[in-house]
Amino acid sequence: MSYEWVDHTAEQELRIEAPTPEFVLHHSLSALAELLGETDGPRQTHEIELEARDLADLLAKWLEELVYLADTEGFVPDEAEIVLRNTSLRARVIGRSGAARPLVKAVTYHRLAFGERPDGTWQARVVLDV
Amino acid sequence: MSELTRIDEVTWEISADARPDMRVPARVFADEELLAAIEQDSSLEQLQNVATLPGIVDAAMAMPDIHQGYGFPVGGLAATELPDGVVSPGGVGYDINCGVRLLALPLTEDELGDRREALVHEISRLVPAGAGKESGLRVDLDRVLLEGSRVVAERDDDVAQTESEGRLEGADPAAVSERAQERGAGQLGTMGSGNHFVELQRVSRLFDDGFDLRDGQVTVLIHSGSRGLGHQVCSDYVHRMDAVLGKYGIELPDRQLSCAPASSPEGQAYLAAMAAAANFAWANRQEIANRVRSAVSRVLGSDAAEGTRQVYDVAHNVAKHESYGGRELLVHRKGATRAFPGQPVFIPGSMGTKSFVLAGEEGSMERSFGTACHGAGRRLSRTAARKQIQGSDLRRQLEQQGIVVRSPSNKGLAEEAPFAYKDVERVVEVVERAGLARRVAELAPIGVVKG
Repeated sequence: MSYEWVDHTAEQELRIEAPTPEFVLHHSLSALAELLGETDGPRQTHEIELEARDLADLLAKWLEELVYLADTEGFVPDEAEIVLRNTSLRARVIGRSGAARPLVKAVTYHRLAFGERPDGTWQARVVLDV
Repeated sequence: MSELTRIDEVTWEISADARPDMRVPARVFADEELLAAIEQDSSLEQLQNVATLPGIVDAAMAMPDIHQGYGFPVGGLAATELPDGVVSPGGVGYDINCGVRLLALPLTEDELGDRREALVHEISRLVPAGAGKESGLRVDLDRVLLEGSRVVAERDDDVAQTESEGRLEGADPAAVSERAQERGAGQLGTMGSGNHFVELQRVSRLFDDGFDLRDGQVTVLIHSGSRGLGHQVCSDYVHRMDAVLGKYGIELPDRQLSCAPASSPEGQAYLAAMAAAANFAWANRQEIANRVRSAVSRVLGSDAAEGTRQVYDVAHNVAKHESYGGRELLVHRKGATRAFPGQPVFIPGSMGTKSFVLAGEEGSMERSFGTACHGAGRRLSRTAARKQIQGSDLRRQLEQQGIVVRSPSNKGLAEEAPFAYKDVERVVEVVERAGLARRVAELAPIGVVKG
């Protein structure tokens, strides 16, 4: 289980499958990092705390934080420790700052989804404005 | 699509009865060939979704360059009746007041001669490209958000030749989050990435003598918006309105359409933040124009810079309060350009292809709330474009066509390849046949600086 980018006419759709909601968030970080490209700037750590209305909203807000860091500091995340409680999270994100690929403008609510499947695994979908 | 009914030669409609949640019809301006392309993606379904918005009047409309977007299709138009019709941040888009500005230089391509490459190079040096790039310019951000392009304009005629004189009323910096301000603070005077560019062109064809353009005259087209600041404002208010949909009893087929009555506290706050972001975008294009003039001055001399006039500046992602037949409306234009009769409208082609100068016509007031198209519209995804051509090959092709290219990224270049877009000429022809705007001039690229 993992993630894939599905490319539409003018947008990037991210589809994720994972055993737990936490893994969905981890995969979304890896997917975004792939889009932002590699950077060899200094190592950095960011603490993120978020509350959301539901899991889908949380996923959008989480990616938005990472887009914000990419836009303001050129930060490309490597990994994160994530503590998820219902629809809020605390995370410590480790990565490098410097030269994120200038691509992602925003995380949209368009076709946003995050839920559990009958077999107990989790899937999510989010569309980025690029 | 069987649901589409032909109204006239270039107008098609899906009736409001097609879905129980539609309040008005969905209407498209297109010819058969463009319509066939439009039906390849979800843009018509998205247009029907727009037709469900509370307070929408007449029809959810689409220009011939419509393509699939987020919630709203790009190339879409929705007018809601004030005071209680909704405002939707997604109906304006992430790049608030993305738009186009045209400058006309006081010389022809022949007179420019072999100084062309130096000019393109100098523009690329002075106008930072790529997302997140900083310009080094420091200004009072609150003033920019309140007053728009006049804060950085060096000439009054630039401000006069800008839609809404480069300033929307009702802006409030306090409605713009700290985070949005932080993203925007260093980005004034920068181009951004994606389809944003500064293009050096020559007038390759004149249809009439509007706007005092001359055959062969050199022009500069600037395409940019409100950068990270606008993106963040949109994100902030999509979240905020998503959270109050229940409070206003609004049900939507797509969360990205989230909206609130324009008269509500949330609606008012968004309109104040949107106006501030629009003002930031106008100041951004003004600062880019200032830098283009500096480049002209360095390469061609101060007289040439002095003689470089602004033809006009139009927004193509914004919501505006306008009156039609006694109704007070909030006209959302997302990838659509205001086209009041006689007003200049600029339709950038894709990179390396022609662009058009149009003039708004009376028909736009009767048929499309004073609106025309905004560009060619994407046909292929970015990945599909990259699969078809290497950025380095495209760069060579463009240079063989006599176009000087400056771009930091080969990948980004390939994504904007001309074949990834619809045929802008056909789009413009439909707009003309529909009576929304008429062609004034065709512009051919001779140099591209891309983000």
